[in-house]
Amino acid sequence: MNRRLTDGQFAWLLMVPGLALFLAIIAYPLVSALVTGFFEQSLVRPGRAFVGLANYADLLGGDFWPVLRNTLVFTLGATIAPFVIGYALALALNAGLPGWLRGVFLFPWVIPGVVVSFLWLWIFNANYGVLNGLLGTHVSWLGDPTTAMIAVIVTKTWASFPWMMVMLLAGLQTMPKELHEAASVDGAGAIRRFRSVTVPHMRAIAGIAFLLEFIWNFQHFDTIYVLTGGGPAGATKTFAVAVYDTAFKGFDLGHATALGGLWMLLLLVLMAFYLRKENA
Amino acid sequence: MTATLSRSVPIARAPRRRRPRSRAAAWAAVAVIGFFGLAPIYWLVVTAFTPDERAFTFPPSLVPTEITFDHFARLAQNEQLFGYLVNSVVVSVVTAFLSVLVSAYMAYAFSKFRYRGRKSLMHLVLASQLFPQALLLVTLYAVFSASGLLGSYGALILSFTTFTLPLCVWMLKGIFDTVPSTLMEAAAIDGASRWRTLHQIALPLAAPGLVAAGLFAFVRAWNDFIFALTLTDPDRQTLPPGLVHTYLGEFQTAWPDLMAASFVVSLPVIAAFMFLQRYLVGGLTAGAVKG
Repeated sequence: MNRRLTDGQFAWLLMVPGLALFLAIIAYPLVSALVTGFFEQSLVRPGRAFVGLANYADLLGGDFWPVLRNTLVFTLGATIAPFVIGYALALALNAGLPGWLRGVFLFPWVIPGVVVSFLWLWIFNANYGVLNGLLGTHVSWLGDPTTAMIAVIVTKTWASFPWMMVMLLAGLQTMPKELHEAASVDGAGAIRRFRSVTVPHMRAIAGIAFLLEFIWNFQHFDTIYVLTGGGPAGATKTFAVAVYDTAFKGFDLGHATALGGLWMLLLLVLMAFYLRKENA
Repeated sequence: MTATLSRSVPIARAPRRRRPRSRAAAWAAVAVIGFFGLAPIYWLVVTAFTPDERAFTFPPSLVPTEITFDHFARLAQNEQLFGYLVNSVVVSVVTAFLSVLVSAYMAYAFSKFRYRGRKSLMHLVLASQLFPQALLLVTLYAVFSASGLLGSYGALILSFTTFTLPLCVWMLKGIFDTVPSTLMEAAAIDGASRWRTLHQIALPLAAPGLVAAGLFAFVRAWNDFIFALTLTDPDRQTLPPGLVHTYLGEFQTAWPDLMAASFVVSLPVIAAFMFLQRYLVGGLTAGAVKG
């Protein structure tokens, strides 16, 4: 009976479960969310009313901008810092240090995201936290708008730099040793060799690693939500937290999904970059 | 472009001279980053074994002066937490099996057949990990509510399975790519159907990859926070939101208890990753474990 299927039909048959899940869990909710953005709709009351672009106009007239700013600050900070730390570490580990070190550094990335948040909540604790203990201060790190954003970035950096290290180390390990030896024979110092040999070789993988981390941070939720809940006074409220709170605390599905629509638009640009790079 | 051999420089000298210095710099970098990376882990473990009255002092003592297992004992007696643990195990184990099944079929189709739409579908699967989950949740909530799955294990399992597909499919496709097509052609000549070839030749050969994909899916489900927080009833909640509700809602958080719980929750994931280390790099470049 199977013989009657062509290869193509058989392949599609194999993909049915996966595609069904994809349609039900990703495609339909996504389209439905984008449609909901044009309605006034509540999570707790049935029925909805078409309002056109009113939700978008509301957001662009106010709430969108601080959220965009917070998201950009968080995303840039939590991408650049792990990138730099991960790169430095990858270079160090590639300079002939024992291999087990790589495994040790994976711990922060491996442990569950909420555990990361609990741990740093405890470290940043104003009364008994070890950070204040080391500094001899009593700063409420998560209670002040400026330090709260820094604290959230530090926490996410801690959880992300091992991944950067793994990606960049993989790139470094494919670099032919002869290139460096030849360059040093030519009299190139360490910095010159890094600039002229390592950086060009690493451009592709470093670009993908940076972009992927950027995209993930752009939609990151867990750390921020547990650490600050978007506060204080909205100082760490990013798109993920704002959309979530508007829908599940404010029950305002219209504004939540409209904000999500704007968020998606920005993500699509990033995704286009990613798919182009991944193909290249 | 970067380097041409030049005879004027003595060949042996340069490499010998740079070694010790660059290794010292490497160790220095490892030490500094090591402090940032590992000191918090140290603090988690120390706090988990520190008696309450010592943990709540300021400034805290950086080396433990007294050790207690009370926090772990209290954890073991907490029935509510045990419930969360059971939920976590059920959801993660079922997700692991379902993911392997669904993604193995899909990966096999991508790897061994050529048909119209294949390339675009592969991109779609790869891109699906990049859609924002907080936005999907807003309407997914309604979907699960309408289908009666809201609050059940099913809502979590189906969601997690979907979000593990990009990574698992990519990983398994890479493994099926290494299974020689001649093996399958030989099976076809011997009269085996395509189903039999898949189940009796390709899948057994890919077994280590299936285990790795399953572990990745397990970790993904075990670590998830936002879906478990939103789509489940309190009695179906997994450990991550369960711990938040148990400990963070109170006036004064029981930090040593929470650190002990964090320690325990991390153990299965750490064990899984020790096994997965060698799959890590290949799998990571194709996608991500953590959303």
